[in-house]
Amino acid sequence: MSGLEIRAVARRGGFTLDLDLRLGGGATGVFGPSGSGKSTLLHAIAGLLPSELMRVAVDGEVLVDLAAGILPPAHGRRVGLVFQDHRLFPHLSVQGNLRYGMVPGGSVELEEVVDLLELGDLLDRLPRECSGGQRQRVAIGRALLAAPRVLLLDEPLSSLDRGLKLQVLPFLRRVQERFRLPTLMVSHDLSDLLALTDELLLMDGGRAAAQGDLSTIAADQTAVELLAGSGLSFSLPGHMVRRDETGLGWVALAGRGSAAPADPAASEVACGDVTAEVGDEVEVILGPADIVLAVPPMDARLSLTNHLAGTVERVTRTEARCLVQVDCGLEAPVLAEVTERAVERLALTPGAPVVALFKAQATRARGLGAARTAPPR
Amino acid sequence: MSVVAILTPAEWGTLWLSLRVSLLATAAVAGPGVALGWLLARRDFRGKLLLDTVVHLPLVLTPVVVGYLLLLTFGRSGPLGPMLEALGIEVAFTTLGAVLAAAVVALPLVVRSVRTAVELVDPGLEDAAAVLGAGPLRRFRTVTLPLAAPGVVAGLSLGFARSLGEFGATITLAGSIAGETRTLPLAIFQGTQVPGGDGAALRLTVVSVLLSAAALLASELVVRRLRRGAGGGQT
Repeated sequence: MSGLEIRAVARRGGFTLDLDLRLGGGATGVFGPSGSGKSTLLHAIAGLLPSELMRVAVDGEVLVDLAAGILPPAHGRRVGLVFQDHRLFPHLSVQGNLRYGMVPGGSVELEEVVDLLELGDLLDRLPRECSGGQRQRVAIGRALLAAPRVLLLDEPLSSLDRGLKLQVLPFLRRVQERFRLPTLMVSHDLSDLLALTDELLLMDGGRAAAQGDLSTIAADQTAVELLAGSGLSFSLPGHMVRRDETGLGWVALAGRGSAAPADPAASEVACGDVTAEVGDEVEVILGPADIVLAVPPMDARLSLTNHLAGTVERVTRTEARCLVQVDCGLEAPVLAEVTERAVERLALTPGAPVVALFKAQATRARGLGAARTAPPR
Repeated sequence: MSVVAILTPAEWGTLWLSLRVSLLATAAVAGPGVALGWLLARRDFRGKLLLDTVVHLPLVLTPVVVGYLLLLTFGRSGPLGPMLEALGIEVAFTTLGAVLAAAVVALPLVVRSVRTAVELVDPGLEDAAAVLGAGPLRRFRTVTLPLAAPGVVAGLSLGFARSLGEFGATITLAGSIAGETRTLPLAIFQGTQVPGGDGAALRLTVVSVLLSAAALLASELVVRRLRRGAGGGQT
């Protein structure tokens, strides 16, 4: 069968990892609360942790099958693992690091990876002479040059601040487009995952709590609770239309389907933090806690710049708060986090008209690069 | 007066013997010392504590006891005596005995230093090497050893310096035979014991101090160089 099959049971102290997964051949985003076993899964697949049961197959080719006695050690698995802390060899140059895992006559050329990840100027440097983003790119290149059958990325962006992250993100996308390796990427940042992966795997307590795209996962009550607990943010695709004199970037959000919105200006939002040029495809990233919901008609005059009108699609109650999913006619739903009291006071039930309000300053827009054509849903 | 005339021919002989014994002893413990240091740093096994204790015993035992134990083990009437005799190897009261005595007291210093150095190498880097396809030997050779090199060099220099100064175990196992086992410390002691030997004792003392200082200095310079190369501890 095509795609990535993983069966893994591993124990570590009192923690048990127990997964049986069939994933597509593309990139899968792995997320979940801390301690849910995300890194354990990756390390077990790579052979760095002993497991009680392990089977990994890529497009039907079995890489590991403990039950069948196919259990190569870590150095014989052809699994690429990029660590959160890059783990470059400090005593080797960038070139030395890149070449470390190269197989003679392997399918991946050094020049190709160097070009793809723009490492040409760094080859003679030591890792400590590179920036955080550059080091992570070297680590990605090093993993690719070992010609792996599966690529595992363990929070490759989380040690980087936002600026540096933007030095790595577009490269990860290039890698996916060029190598098309089955990939598992662990991240806490849902928008990174949405930007880079085709499918999501939500983990909790060592098990798969949900699997699928965001809308599938958001339809699941428990999954949404976990989502809310893991520092959720969500993103809305669109393109940047202009930058105004106050420095705000204006993004026209992509509507759903072919029908053009009645009023294009109604789906434009202002973003205080923009890393894109006019005309670029972008994603607008918002936290549900930053969204205020109001019920029309709106007669009060507000200082808030951004208004998106829509209808309540679903209200998910968790212990402490409610997550309201609002359909604003956009490609992705708007998620707002409000109190139980607000839900009752505003009578937020499915179908109710509602306006989502948020400050331009709480909104960031991130360029997706020219190569990107469609959102990952 | 030429430089050679600073020491008598016999004193030059002593210096040369000392250097030879110490270098041979250091060379002999390099392999086992690195292996034991790595084993104690990276592996858990039954009897680890026992091995650790036995290796470090010469550090705390009086060298005379070490020498006597070696004599009991390797001497003609010892358990290994007949086997060694059959091979034509004689340990007691030979240069080889002096080397053995020096090696045994130097070993714990090398092991301790290597162990600490290996413990400081991030095992995560070894994991990264494994995932990149490197087997255990290649991981050790290309990642662990280069990163632990400053500690290995420091340990070997300490071992060398300790070998140079070895007295008790040497005199017990190998005696004090001029030209064969009478190394610098033994010759100095001898000088203080015979009438008119003070001059020789003083000259050899100066030589000892200079030699040990030079060994430590050279080691420090090498370690600094290696540290710079290895990234100054940054991972």
